[in-house]
Amino acid sequence: MDDNLESDPAMMLFSPEAADRPHVPYRYLLEKCPVARSDGGSVSGEPGGSVLISGFEDLHWAFKHPEYISSEEAVAIGNDRPLIPLQIDPPGHAKYRRLLDPQFSPKKMAALEPDFRVLVNQVIDTFIERGECDFHEDFATPIPSTFFLRLTGLPLTDLPVFLQWRDNIIRPDVAPGDFDAAAAIRADTGKQIYAYFESAFDEREAQRDDGLLSRLLDAEVEGMRLTREELLDICYLLIIAGLDTVTATLDCMIHRLATHPHERQRLVDDPSLSHAVVEELLRFETPVMVVARTVKQDVTLRDVELRAGDMVTMVIGAGNLDDVEFAHSDTVDFDRGRNRHLAFGAGPHRCLGSHLARLEVRVALEEWHRRIPNYRVADGADFHFSAGIRQANTLPLVFGDATS
Amino acid sequence: MKVWVDEAACQGHGRCYAFAPDVFEADDQGHSIVLKAEVTPEHEAGARAGAENCPERAITVTED
Repeated sequence: MDDNLESDPAMMLFSPEAADRPHVPYRYLLEKCPVARSDGGSVSGEPGGSVLISGFEDLHWAFKHPEYISSEEAVAIGNDRPLIPLQIDPPGHAKYRRLLDPQFSPKKMAALEPDFRVLVNQVIDTFIERGECDFHEDFATPIPSTFFLRLTGLPLTDLPVFLQWRDNIIRPDVAPGDFDAAAAIRADTGKQIYAYFESAFDEREAQRDDGLLSRLLDAEVEGMRLTREELLDICYLLIIAGLDTVTATLDCMIHRLATHPHERQRLVDDPSLSHAVVEELLRFETPVMVVARTVKQDVTLRDVELRAGDMVTMVIGAGNLDDVEFAHSDTVDFDRGRNRHLAFGAGPHRCLGSHLARLEVRVALEEWHRRIPNYRVADGADFHFSAGIRQANTLPLVFGDATS
Repeated sequence: MKVWVDEAACQGHGRCYAFAPDVFEADDQGHSIVLKAEVTPEHEAGARAGAENCPERAITVTED
């Protein structure tokens, strides 16, 4: 790593090459500055100062103390109002989680497993005969987004529109550093998203279907139903979270298993290992490298003074490599008995979709390895992972014996 | 062995009842409920795994 980058921890973390080898900046942060003040920009890509929190214990504390480290003001992605429930801190947030958690509970998700397994196989059918695929484009992208549309009861023909919105919001196509252009794209996309869901809810007000949107219309907490604005603010967050993160997770995990055949072979030989593989690779790869917060009340962490209003970058990927919590943290160990990784966060804002994500990733790995036990990255493939949410731009794979 | 879940700390990660469905179960929101506070020997490993994989550290086991 060059000296320039080393001078600023955030620049190092958000540099174009960091997401390909994130353990390098993570180790640096853990060893040199587990709580660091930086002028090198924040997770949203905006310039300016932020505080990076990287140690496991500090992250754990921060996640559990939203009265100090808040997510209320932390992200601006074209939304007019706070995203629900992410940008509502306790106590207001509990009512939304009581309403939404049951829709995404492990029991509810388990009921979807057979249907999801069929979908995974249908997607594999589209390319298996070719003996190769672009894993990101052909598998990791369609699977979670198709399933999201089924879950919400929205037409599959709208998928390209959703993917375009996702890209506009998360990776707006602008010259590096052109924050005004990025904000303009996000604002315009935001308007389209609100308008789309307005009309989707209008349709379901008139006639309920069996999808999530209709269930949200009828959901009640403390005798109250959600207002139209609340419904829109929930959906805005759902499409960003539902379309992007599982794609990134699949990219990260298959890349790891493609390049570590002995780990892959263990899963092929013993499919029941899939649960452990998912948890350990969530820890080791941490597809969502960082999440954003802001300081709500002044607080001192490891001698660094955090002031109200400061941006905070929670470096979850570093926390998941902290030796304080994880024995032999640098080693992928599917037999790790204890694994309290923070890939889905912790505290009141624990990822609402974590049970859906776990189901999708586990079943996808099981079916993929049952049908395509041997594969490798295509020779000469040129691909990179994006910073923040580690998605590959392309991931060409060739099937067959790894040695062939 | 005894096991208990701190309800205020539990955030519904669901690791404990995935590891030990005979010791823990989920309420409608996905938060953990201890089925039997007194853990029988055949379920001790599961109770321990639940505690060791709780990201909130909401589960306590006491040997006695």
